Amino acid sequence: MATQFSQAPLTIGIGDMKVSYDTADILITYSLGSCIGLTLYDPVVKVGGMVHTMLPLSKQDPEKAKKNPYMYTDTGIQNLIQELFNLGATRRNLIAKVAGGARLLDEKGLFRIGERNYTVLRKVLWKNDILISAEDVGESKSRTMILYMDSGKTVIRSGGVEVEL
Amino acid sequence: MSRREEILTVINKVPALPTIAVEIQNMLRNEDVDFRMLAEKIKYDPGLTANILNLANSAYFGFMRPVNSIADAIVLMGTKRVYELIVAESIAPIILRSVKGYVLSPGQLWQHSVAVAVASEQLVKKVGIRAPEYVFTAGLLHNVGKIVLGTFVEIEAEPILKLAAKDDISFDEAEQAVLGIDHAEVGSILLKKWHLPEHFVEVARYHHIPDKKPKDNILVDLVHAADALVMMAGIGIGADELHYRVDQSVMDRLGINKTVAEIVIADTMESLENLTQLFKKQ
Repeated sequence: MATQFSQAPLTIGIGDMKVSYDTADILITYSLGSCIGLTLYDPVVKVGGMVHTMLPLSKQDPEKAKKNPYMYTDTGIQNLIQELFNLGATRRNLIAKVAGGARLLDEKGLFRIGERNYTVLRKVLWKNDILISAEDVGESKSRTMILYMDSGKTVIRSGGVEVEL
Repeated sequence: MSRREEILTVINKVPALPTIAVEIQNMLRNEDVDFRMLAEKIKYDPGLTANILNLANSAYFGFMRPVNSIADAIVLMGTKRVYELIVAESIAPIILRSVKGYVLSPGQLWQHSVAVAVASEQLVKKVGIRAPEYVFTAGLLHNVGKIVLGTFVEIEAEPILKLAAKDDISFDEAEQAVLGIDHAEVGSILLKKWHLPEHFVEVARYHHIPDKKPKDNILVDLVHAADALVMMAGIGIGADELHYRVDQSVMDRLGINKTVAEIVIADTMESLENLTQLFKKQ
């Protein structure tokens, strides 16, 4: 069963990002397919954020990336990290959790959007010296990702089941 | 009665398409249809007129100059495009519902359908093939079978999903195994019942198994490819998740490579934002 929230969560759409410094906030993003969902949370200053990116690299269409950096994994994640630094988060405190990067059946080497999204994500985090502490990626799943700002708890809902990440 | 037979009888409970959509389709069968007659027909439906004008002036369908009347819309957009808008307006109330069996909240199936319609048109532009007629409508209608199974039959997705997960078979193959029929076939039967043209019936029927289509129909290939891209983007996917096969030979036939795929996903996303809202203004 899906958790009932005590207050309306902040929804992150596809190609969208939100940060928060309010411990009452709950951040949620729905139906991650091949897209990437990333939560970053600093438990010391209690700021955090979530991004839902769709395609691996912004160089594919720099114009679009300029208008909406969150459409692309490279620019989207870099921007989220920067936003959190601006709110006082520190690199060594940031806890990173990842969901998404799914694929269709038989999608053998076809476009590998999910897989490439994940590779780009790892690169950007690595460059920023941030380790992934937990992840639920790949397969043919659709995932909903939830971040609780009071504790940093991250939950993945998939196939009607909720699991803490 | 088998489960399949049971489902087939339920198809009759789905509302019929509004008569105006059927009438206009019949008029369009006639090659030299007079656009004034067409405009006359629509004029007497003020709700439809308002909605068509709304769409005709939108960023996606619109033109540089404002479209003020149905006659204007027909001259600028062509009778076929206006027909596509009428079909869209006619089926929107049916597809906008929640689709319990697939765990889709109200509007999610609609969003997926509009996204596939847009992505199919974007594909035509990006791969540079000659545009077949009614690409948008073909994309819009491909999943109507889910309305029957998900809303009127209220199938339980769980046993189907269990099978799909366990044996790595696709959701439509699992539907066949559990129900004796899948949403693609159900959709094709519904479209036939709605007296829609054969090429739409084929798109619904074969959009997950494009290599099984009995004859060449580029719409089937386009919608299969567009559906795959929209699922990857996660637009309006339900309990069936990404448990569908993608046919590499379709991508090769259409010349869809990685770059085309990504550009189409990005462009579709951009067009979609305003478009789905637009149809909801009933």
